[in-house]
Amino acid sequence: MFRNILKKGRKLAGFGGLVAALTLAAPAMAQDKEPIVFGGSIPLSGVFAFAGIHLHAGLTDYTDWINSQGGINGHPVEYVMEDTAYEVDRSVAAFKKISGSSSPATYYGDSTGFMKAIASELNSMGTTLMSGASFATALTDNEQYPYQFIPGPNYSQMFGIILEYIASQGEDGDMPTVAFVYSDTEFGKDPIENGKARAAELGIEVVEEIVTKPGSVDVSAEVLKLRRVRPDYVVFHGYVLSPINEFMVQMRQMGLDTQFMGTFWSSDKLIIDKMGADADGYMGVMPYNYYDSEESGPMLDALRAQAEKSDPDAGYRPTGYIQGWFNAMVWTEVIKRTLDAGKELNADNMAEALASIEDWDTGGIIGIPVTVKDMSFPVGRIWRVNAEAGRYEPVSDWIHLD
Amino acid sequence: MDWLFFGEISLAGLAMGGLYALIALGFVMIYKATRVINFAIGEIMMFAAYLFLAFAGGMELSAWIALPLAVIGGSILGGVIEKTMIRPMLGESPISVVMVTIGIASILVGLVEFIWTADPQLLPNFLPREPVFIGPLYLAPKIAYGFLIGSALLIIYLLYFRFSRGGVALRATASDQAAAYSMGINVRRVFNLAWVFGSLAASLAGVLVAATGGLSPQFGIIGLSVLVVVIVGGLDSILGALVAGVFIGWLETVAGAYLGGEYRMPATFVVLAIILVIRPYGLFGTHEIERV
Amino acid sequence: MRIGDAKQTYEADEAIWTSNTQKFWFGLLMLVLVLFPFMADSYLLYLGCLVGIAVISTTGLNILTGFTGLISLGQAGFMGVGAYTVAWLSLNTGLPFPVTLLLAGLVAAAVGILVGLPSLRVKGLYLAIATLAASVFLHFIFAEWESVTGGMGGLSLEPAHLFGLTFQSDFRMYFIIVPLAVLMVFTARNVLRTRVGRAFIAIRDRDISAEILGINLLRYKLMSFALSSFYAGVAGGLFAYFYRVVTPESFPLSMSIFYLAAVIVGGMGNLLGGILGAAFMTLVPEALKLLTAALTPFYPNAPVFMSPMLEIIFGALIVGFLIFEPHGLAEIWHRIRRFFRLWPFRN
Repeated sequence: MFRNILKKGRKLAGFGGLVAALTLAAPAMAQDKEPIVFGGSIPLSGVFAFAGIHLHAGLTDYTDWINSQGGINGHPVEYVMEDTAYEVDRSVAAFKKISGSSSPATYYGDSTGFMKAIASELNSMGTTLMSGASFATALTDNEQYPYQFIPGPNYSQMFGIILEYIASQGEDGDMPTVAFVYSDTEFGKDPIENGKARAAELGIEVVEEIVTKPGSVDVSAEVLKLRRVRPDYVVFHGYVLSPINEFMVQMRQMGLDTQFMGTFWSSDKLIIDKMGADADGYMGVMPYNYYDSEESGPMLDALRAQAEKSDPDAGYRPTGYIQGWFNAMVWTEVIKRTLDAGKELNADNMAEALASIEDWDTGGIIGIPVTVKDMSFPVGRIWRVNAEAGRYEPVSDWIHLD
Repeated sequence: MDWLFFGEISLAGLAMGGLYALIALGFVMIYKATRVINFAIGEIMMFAAYLFLAFAGGMELSAWIALPLAVIGGSILGGVIEKTMIRPMLGESPISVVMVTIGIASILVGLVEFIWTADPQLLPNFLPREPVFIGPLYLAPKIAYGFLIGSALLIIYLLYFRFSRGGVALRATASDQAAAYSMGINVRRVFNLAWVFGSLAASLAGVLVAATGGLSPQFGIIGLSVLVVVIVGGLDSILGALVAGVFIGWLETVAGAYLGGEYRMPATFVVLAIILVIRPYGLFGTHEIERV
Repeated sequence: MRIGDAKQTYEADEAIWTSNTQKFWFGLLMLVLVLFPFMADSYLLYLGCLVGIAVISTTGLNILTGFTGLISLGQAGFMGVGAYTVAWLSLNTGLPFPVTLLLAGLVAAAVGILVGLPSLRVKGLYLAIATLAASVFLHFIFAEWESVTGGMGGLSLEPAHLFGLTFQSDFRMYFIIVPLAVLMVFTARNVLRTRVGRAFIAIRDRDISAEILGINLLRYKLMSFALSSFYAGVAGGLFAYFYRVVTPESFPLSMSIFYLAAVIVGGMGNLLGGILGAAFMTLVPEALKLLTAALTPFYPNAPVFMSPMLEIIFGALIVGFLIFEPHGLAEIWHRIRRFFRLWPFRN
């Protein structure tokens, strides 16, 4: 049933074997049902490797875990991946290789660029549902990207959650002011327009917008600009680490009592590890519970147990790990719903199953039941760095946008 | 217009420009002696900054021991590059030599990723953190002290060039290799020393820039700004490197502050394009006369 | 046994085919190229298309850098111009692909001439810097001219079409890309044996001497720029149709360097070299991945340490070829051919 969708037969033997060498095969199980394949273009190296390695671990561990639970409706799960070094052409090559040899039901894409580039192929194949590392707003356009979803809020929705939090801190007539600081990249510019519109709706004044060149760059002139406008909040987007640290340190040196916030990829423990005490008070929006948070739930406990089992020495698992795990969890849920409805496992049916997710209990990965809207999970919570404890602690309730 | 703001921005830009001048000096030194345009200068800076990270962060040495060690490491790297990869290209077309330096840049990026991974890094703090005020003007402490350290080396270099034996040998080699050789100057040694000292300047600047802007394998992009500086100043002019370095640093910062970060590069490249059209050999460069 | 070429007429010297054996091998190659997509799986097909695009762009750069001696760091920028032209035309006019690709080439050529203008005044490395400046400006325009380029998010376009036939799959794209690549390499081969090509080579070897011989430097340098960026524009247009999305980040500086490296590794001033270089440089990462895959069962961490290897190998190839094999893969290829031609008499 899963194999009949190959457009062209695999005519050159041998590649199957090579891919199999990369396959992190599921434990052997005495099942005769067809395996379900999770594919992935994973950035194990290159600029995104810091997250890619953990995404990979999350996907691997989830696959092991679900197989230990008997697979999906009795189908064993296989996870087939290739390294992409975060280069679009290599991601596409990996996709073609994997989809030619294993016909994956779902696929992990490593970048917005890749997910856009592969969209036309994905749409014409109609066999595979895709999600990945990208939270790009553009991908929630169902017309253009009907088979791609976001495993959390998209960047605009993250801004929405952040702004809602900021608004909740103000009193009537005394709304906090905010400044946006973002990188001059597609990633950085993604939510800015929507963010400004949302801020206007909430009555929050965006007092300054700062674009920085990507890479190592001195930001003291930009800090001087912020000193003039004295925003209550600065929201960063499109960075992983620097120059967030430099903005925070310099603005505090100037005696400003600005609060600093960031989106998913700039809200990991990396910030605490590298900045140390300077990170204290930094806030991030995160749709999942942190690995070391005090929250719990059956799935979160399973994740921790599996992580412990697969690598007892690893200790804390970064947000990328949980992101990878959650992607696979959504895939499982979608495949399960499709199979339970007795439908064929194709992209249309899976997309439909995804859209039908309502008040879904994620077992503690996300703290509240979630409802899919426009192929995303518009939910998140604001967490703040406690540098002394070396971790993020929740400062808001879960915010579910509607 | 807010003159105080303009003053503060300009000051930050000038301080950054001081570091550019230092890098450009290293660049010009290499060019003067060996006629090699070193596209790998940004990567040499990066490598030295990673060395600093390894010494100060990894081995937990005091920053004031780690800094000289990193700078020496970067200089040795320059010397090794010259000996193994630039020397064999002696006499080849300039295009080939430039491509070799581009290849070296790629090798260095790979090495850094191999040794330190591609994760973004921050250097341990080693500069004082109290804000610096010059009159009413605020200056971020890291750039202020970075500027001071950079200028100190810059002055040492200029004096060395002017008065020491090595400096004279270097200048003699730059003006006429054959004549210098016949006067008993060890030209090959001068080539090597030029790379060592050029890389030394770049290495120090690399650590100082990384201390303010963070460090990652993409750090080498800063080499592009340096290229602009040396072309505007003139490839073989030390004065040009200093003037253009400070000016480009200032322009970049002011354009970034008033127009937005996306205008930083285009602004400086506009200056570059204008210079190429009206004075192709740079503000202070020598116009070489070609003979068939 | 053929051990050398004694040519008695200029016609014979200029001829593309020197022997029937050559024609036979070429025919066989064409046959393989035609049959390839019917035998290859989607992965190989994809790589075939990538190599085809790279061959076109590398051939263009080879004309400029290898034959005219003008180094350019703007190739990716010119490709971007072609790609955006195709994207804009396909979104706004719905013209068929031969027209859009031609226009992509022409627009890129026009930009190329503009960028080439300083080449009269500056040359060598200064020119390289001028092209670098051009690529910075082009990137800025791609990112900021939102009404045309769609800003940072870029443009998504419809598949290539002609006479109601759409070229959506790689299989069909292959039959646009590869014939076009063959055609364009042949055109280059032809141009280079005319007066124009000889002028290019004369300029490369010594521009002042060329000028004394009566070659109009400005005209031929600009012609070389135009031709080279025409190739880049067509390659960029194909790139746009191939991925059907164009963003400013699709054409980074590293891509320009990639094409320069392909020219060098293949062999500067040798069309065959450009082709070999393009194929070689495109396939190295994939070959490395095969190696990684073979190592992974023994060293689970192989992907993590193998990827920096790619950067190192990329750089080492550039440096190594320049130092040890300045004439590139083409020279190695000739050596292999000579070996077979002289075998078994040599030993």
